[in-house]
Amino acid sequence: MSGELMIRLNVNGEDRALAVRPNATLLAVLRDKLDLTGAKRGCGAGDCGACTVQVEGEPVASCLMLAAAANGKSIVTVEGLARDGDLHPLQKAFVKHGALQCGYCTSGALMSAKALVDRNPDPSREDIKTSLSGNLCRCGAYGRMVSAVEGWKEYDGVTLDARPHAHGERDQQRDHAVVGHGVTRYDGPDKVTGRAKYTADLRLPGMLHGKLFGSPIAHGRIMRLDVSKARALPGVVDVLTAADVPDAWYGVSPAREDEQLLAKDLVRYVGDEIAAVAAVDEETAERAIKLIEVEFEELPAVFDPVAAMAPGAPVIHPEKPRYAGNINTRVDWHFGDVEKGFAEADHVREQRFVGNRTYQAPMEPHAALARWENHAGRLTIWTSTQTPHYVHRSLSRMLGMPMGSIRVIRPPVGGGFGAKAEATPLDFCSAIFAKRTGRPVMMEYSREEMFRHFRGRHKQYIDLKIGVKQDGTITAVEQRVVLDGGAYTSYGVITAYYAGSMLPTLYKMPNYRYDGTRVYTNLPASGAFRGHGVPQPRFAFESLLDMIAEDIRLDPIEIRLRNAMTPNTRTCNALDISSCEFTATLERARDTSKWIEKKGKLPRGKGIGVGCGGFVSGAGYPIYRSDFPHSNAVIRVHEDGTGISLHIAAAEIGQGSDTVLVQMAAEELGVPYEWVWLADCDTTTSPLDLGSYSSRVTLMAGHAVQRAAAKVRAQVVAVAAAELSRDAASLVARGGRIFVKEDPAVEMDWAAAARLAFSRQGPVVGTGSYQPPKNLGGDFKGGAVGTSPAYSFSTAVAEVTMDLETGQISVDRVTDFSDAGTVINPITFHGQVEGSIVMGLGETLLEDTLFDAKGRAMNPNLHDYLIPTMYEIPEIHTAAVESFEPNGPFGAKEVGEGSLLPVLGAIANAIYDACGVRVTELPITPEKILRGLAKHGPATGVRA
Amino acid sequence: MTIAAITYHRPATLAEACALGRQHGSDAAFLAGGTELIPDYQRERETAQHLIALDSIRELRGISEEDGLLRIGALTTIAKVAASPLVRARLPALADAARAIGSPQIRSMATIGGNFCRAVPCADTPPAAIACAARVRLAGALGARELDAEAFFTGVRKTALNPGDVLVEIVVPVQPHHSGTSYQRFARRRGPALAVAAVAARVTLEQGRITGARIVLGAVAPTPLIAARAAALIEGEPPSDALFERAGALCAEDALPISDVRGSAEYRTELVRVLARRALHEAVARAAGSAQ
Repeated sequence: MSGELMIRLNVNGEDRALAVRPNATLLAVLRDKLDLTGAKRGCGAGDCGACTVQVEGEPVASCLMLAAAANGKSIVTVEGLARDGDLHPLQKAFVKHGALQCGYCTSGALMSAKALVDRNPDPSREDIKTSLSGNLCRCGAYGRMVSAVEGWKEYDGVTLDARPHAHGERDQQRDHAVVGHGVTRYDGPDKVTGRAKYTADLRLPGMLHGKLFGSPIAHGRIMRLDVSKARALPGVVDVLTAADVPDAWYGVSPAREDEQLLAKDLVRYVGDEIAAVAAVDEETAERAIKLIEVEFEELPAVFDPVAAMAPGAPVIHPEKPRYAGNINTRVDWHFGDVEKGFAEADHVREQRFVGNRTYQAPMEPHAALARWENHAGRLTIWTSTQTPHYVHRSLSRMLGMPMGSIRVIRPPVGGGFGAKAEATPLDFCSAIFAKRTGRPVMMEYSREEMFRHFRGRHKQYIDLKIGVKQDGTITAVEQRVVLDGGAYTSYGVITAYYAGSMLPTLYKMPNYRYDGTRVYTNLPASGAFRGHGVPQPRFAFESLLDMIAEDIRLDPIEIRLRNAMTPNTRTCNALDISSCEFTATLERARDTSKWIEKKGKLPRGKGIGVGCGGFVSGAGYPIYRSDFPHSNAVIRVHEDGTGISLHIAAAEIGQGSDTVLVQMAAEELGVPYEWVWLADCDTTTSPLDLGSYSSRVTLMAGHAVQRAAAKVRAQVVAVAAAELSRDAASLVARGGRIFVKEDPAVEMDWAAAARLAFSRQGPVVGTGSYQPPKNLGGDFKGGAVGTSPAYSFSTAVAEVTMDLETGQISVDRVTDFSDAGTVINPITFHGQVEGSIVMGLGETLLEDTLFDAKGRAMNPNLHDYLIPTMYEIPEIHTAAVESFEPNGPFGAKEVGEGSLLPVLGAIANAIYDACGVRVTELPITPEKILRGLAKHGPATGVRA
Repeated sequence: MTIAAITYHRPATLAEACALGRQHGSDAAFLAGGTELIPDYQRERETAQHLIALDSIRELRGISEEDGLLRIGALTTIAKVAASPLVRARLPALADAARAIGSPQIRSMATIGGNFCRAVPCADTPPAAIACAARVRLAGALGARELDAEAFFTGVRKTALNPGDVLVEIVVPVQPHHSGTSYQRFARRRGPALAVAAVAARVTLEQGRITGARIVLGAVAPTPLIAARAAALIEGEPPSDALFERAGALCAEDALPISDVRGSAEYRTELVRVLARRALHEAVARAAGSAQ
C-alpha cells in the first residue's frame, strides 16, 4: 500500500473519490487536489489553527491529519459555509464586527466558531474563548471575534451590505458622508468565504515548487558544495548555487548593501541561504535539499553585540573594512547641552534596560510565484509583500532588467508588521528559476524558515538617563543603545536612528544626547518591526519616568502632563509637530480608567500603570534617494457612471488601508462607498506607492487618492453645472447626487453627469500624487529619520492581576486613547489599536526568539514562541480624541504603529505597582518576577 | 513541511495490528490521532516506514465502567475524555488534565493512548492517571498484559511497549471512599501551551486525617515522577497549609527538572512546590466534598 490510496470524502456536501499519497495531509489534498484554499497553511504543526476544518462536525487541524485517515468522513471547509450564495450568519457577523484584518486566520477561526455553534447555538464568552483558543490571530482581532460569535444569530437572514455596523463606534463628529463611518471592510466578504487568494493559494499550469537550502552553522567558509545528488533526484528540474545567480551585493538599504543571494564563500548565520532547488512538487524539493552536501571551515561565531565589538571578535563582514569591529551603524547625536541640563536637574536617575528579539510572526508565511513571460522576455511575480515597489526595484537591480519588464502583483497579504518589507530570496530565486526553466515557480517559507529569515525586532541594550527638576520638568535625557543587528543590515540603519529620533516627540526635552550602535552578530538579521526601533527605548523611557516620578513623589500621569508635547512645536531634534492632542489622551485615559481612584489603592497583586507612545505618519524620505512622489493614484469613472475604479499600489496587509482609501475616494468624489472598485495591486495598472511601512498609507496614499478624486469630481461637476445652469462652485457632490448647496432641490444624478462627461470627452480619469514637504528635518547626519508630515500620540493605562507564587501575570484591562487625527473608519481604527494592545502584550510578557550556544534557533515555531491567544486578551477600551491634522487628508494621521508603543511601558508599570518588582529586561516572565520577589521581598512603598 | 513517503496499513483487528507491528518491528509506528506523530515525522524524529492506522479497531474506543473499573480505550480522543461525565465525576484530575491539552482542534484529534505512547515528559494525562492508580492494558503478538501506569513510562519518549505491542486501554480502579483528586499545571499562557510543570494528587480523608495520598509530578523528570516522600509525610496527618507547604518542599526536592525554552530548572522546582500545595488543597476539598 505504498502507492496511492483511493479514498472517499464528502467535502462540503459533495462526494469525492480521490487517489492520494499515503503521506499526504488532509490540508494538502484540500488545497492541491480540490483547490479549496480557504484552509491555510500557517505553521504545519497544529499550532496556529489556520488550517481548521470540520471533520464529522469536529474542528480539526487538517495539517496534522493524513488524508488517508479522513477516508469515509464528511468534511466542511470555509467554502462550504455559504448556502445558495447566502453567507452563513457567522461570516456576516465577522464582516460586520470587523472581526478580521489580514484574513489569513479567518477561515480557521470561522470553522472553529461553526463547530461551536453547531453544538451550542448560544455560547457564552468563555465558551467562545475556549473554542477559538487554538486560532492564532496576529492582527489581534480576538475581541471582535468574540463579539461576532456571541451575536451571530442576529445575522440570520440579513443581507450583507457595506453599511456601518449598528455597533460601529464613532468617536468624532464630522460632516462627512463616508469618511468617519464604520463601513464594512472592502475585503471582508472575500476573506470570510475563502475567496481571497493569497500568494500561496495561486496555481499555474506546470508550476514547480522551489525550496532553499540554508546553512546549518552560524559562521563558516564553504569549502565544498556538491549539489549533484540533489540534481539527479527524479523530479528535480533545476538547482541554483552562487555560481548560477548574479554576483551582486543587495539589501533594502542602499547605504549598506551587504547580502548575497546565495552564499559564495561565507555563511553568517544558521539559515544563510546557500542553494535552491526547483522540483515538480514540494516533497521532491524538500528531499532534494537533504541531498545537498556541503563542507565548511567552521569559524568562531559571536551572538552578543557587545562581545562582537570587542577586540579579537570574529569578523562577520571581512570583505567590507568599513564594518570594522562589526559595527554596522553609528549614531552620535547631541542636541542642546546635556551636561548643562543634568547640572540643572534636581534629580537624575539612570538605568539599564534590555529588550527582546521578537518576531513579527505574521500568520501568512512569505511566498512568491514567478512566471517568465517567454514571448516578451518579461517577468511576472506574485508576492506576499508590504512593499511591492521595493521588491520591484530590488528585482530590477538583481536581475539586471528594467522595471518596465517586471510586473509585480501583490495578492492579499496575511499580515506583515515589517516582516515583509523587502525582497526575499524567495522573490529572487523564484524569478531566476522561472527564467531558467520556463515554468512558473512557487516558493514559500515554512514557519521555521520564517523565523530564520527573521527581520524582526532588534534586541536593544539601553542605558537611559533622565534629569528632572523637583516639579518633574525634564531638563536632560541621555540614551546609549547597542542594537543586535544580526548578520545583515535589512532596515537596520534606519532602526538605529529611529531608536533615538522618536523619544523627543512625546515629551519636551531641551537637551538630549543619543548614542546608537548597531552591531553585526551571527544571528538572523533584525529589521523593521511595527514601531520600528522605538518600542524598547519607549519601554525604557516610560519605565524610568515612573521610577523618577516615584522618587520625587509625583503621580505618573502628572509628570507626563507636565512634560507633554504641544501642537506646532519643533522638537530638539528638529522634528515639526503639527497637530498634537497628547494631553487630551492622558487626561481621558486617566479619567476613563478611574486612575485616581485606583493608583496606589489596589490590593497587593493588583496594579495599574500608564504608558505613552506616538509615531510618524509616514517617513518623510524614501529608503533610496528619488524624486518620485511617494504615493500616486489614478481614478477612472466607468462609462455609465455607476462604477469607479481606484488604481493604487498601496499595500493592504490587514490594517484596513484598502477600506480607508476607498472611503476617501468615495467621499471626495461624492459617491456612495459601494460604487468604488479597488483595482488589484499590480504594477502594470497601478502607479507607484512606496508601500505599507512607517504608518504612511492613510496620510500619503490618502492624499494621492483625495487629489485624484477631486480632479474627477471637478470634471463631473462641471458637466452638471452646465446642465443645471449653475456655477460649479455652488454645487456639492455627495452620496451620488450633485446639488446646489444653498438649494438642494436643484440637483442632478452623479452617474448621469458622469455619463454625459464620458460621452463628451471619453474616459473620465483623474490622477493624484503626494510628495512630503521638502527639506523636512535638521541639517545633521541622520536628520531625515523621524521626519514626517504628522505625528500620532497615545496613552494606555493597563491593569494587571498577578499570581505572586508563580509570577504569572494577567492583563485585566487596557484603556487607550489615541490622537490619530480624523478617524477615517472607526472599525479599522479600533481594530488597529486593539491589535496593538494584543501584540504589545505578547512583546512585554511572552515573546523572545532564543538561540543555543551554536546560534541555532531554539523556538522557531508557534508552540515555543508563544504569541497571545484569545485567552490572553484583556478587556479593552479604545477611543480617539478629537483632533484634526492639517497635513493629513480629511485631517487624518496614523494609528497602526503608534498605538503599540504605550503598551509595553503601561504593563511594566502596572506590574511594578502590583508587586514592587521592576523588571527591566523584556519579556517580563513569571520567572523574572519570582526572582525579583525573592531578591527584594516586597519593596518599600508597596502596599502589603 | 511534508513528511517522508510511508506505507500505510489499516488493520481491521487488534490481532492484525499487533502482527503488523511485530513484523515491521522498529520500522513500524502506530497512528492514533497523529497530533504528535505527524510533527515527529516532519522533524524526522520518527522515521518508521510502516504506518499502522488503528482507527478501524473498534475495541480501542470508548469509555465504560464495569465491575468498578473505569476503562478508557486508548483511541478515545482527549476531547471525549475531557467531556465524559463519567471521567468528570470519578476522576476530575484526569478530566482537568485532558482539558489542559492543546487546542480544541488538537483535542478532537489527539487520543489518550497517543498521549501515553509518545511519552513526552510534559504530557498531561499520565501524571493524573497515575495519581488515580491507573493501570494500562497492552495487547501484543504474544498476548495481553497489564501494568501499573507508572511502569509504562521508562524514559523520555520511551515506554514498556515491545515491538508489536498496542496500548489497548487505561484501566482505573474505583477510587477509595472519601478521596479527591487534582491536577495543577503551569504554562506560559492560558491559551494552548505545553506544561512547564505539573502536579497531580489524590488524597483520601478519614475522620479529618489523610489516610492515603498519591502525588505525581509532571514535566519535571524524564517520566512522571511519584513523589513518595511527600505522600508519606502527609499520611496520617490532618490536612493543613503548613503540612502541604512541607510536602510541596519535598516534591520540589524530588523533582529532576531540566532547563529549556519553557523555563529554568530552578523555576520549575519552585513551581512544583507551589503546584503541589495547590493540588493537595484541591484534592482535600474534593475529598471533603465527596464525603457529603
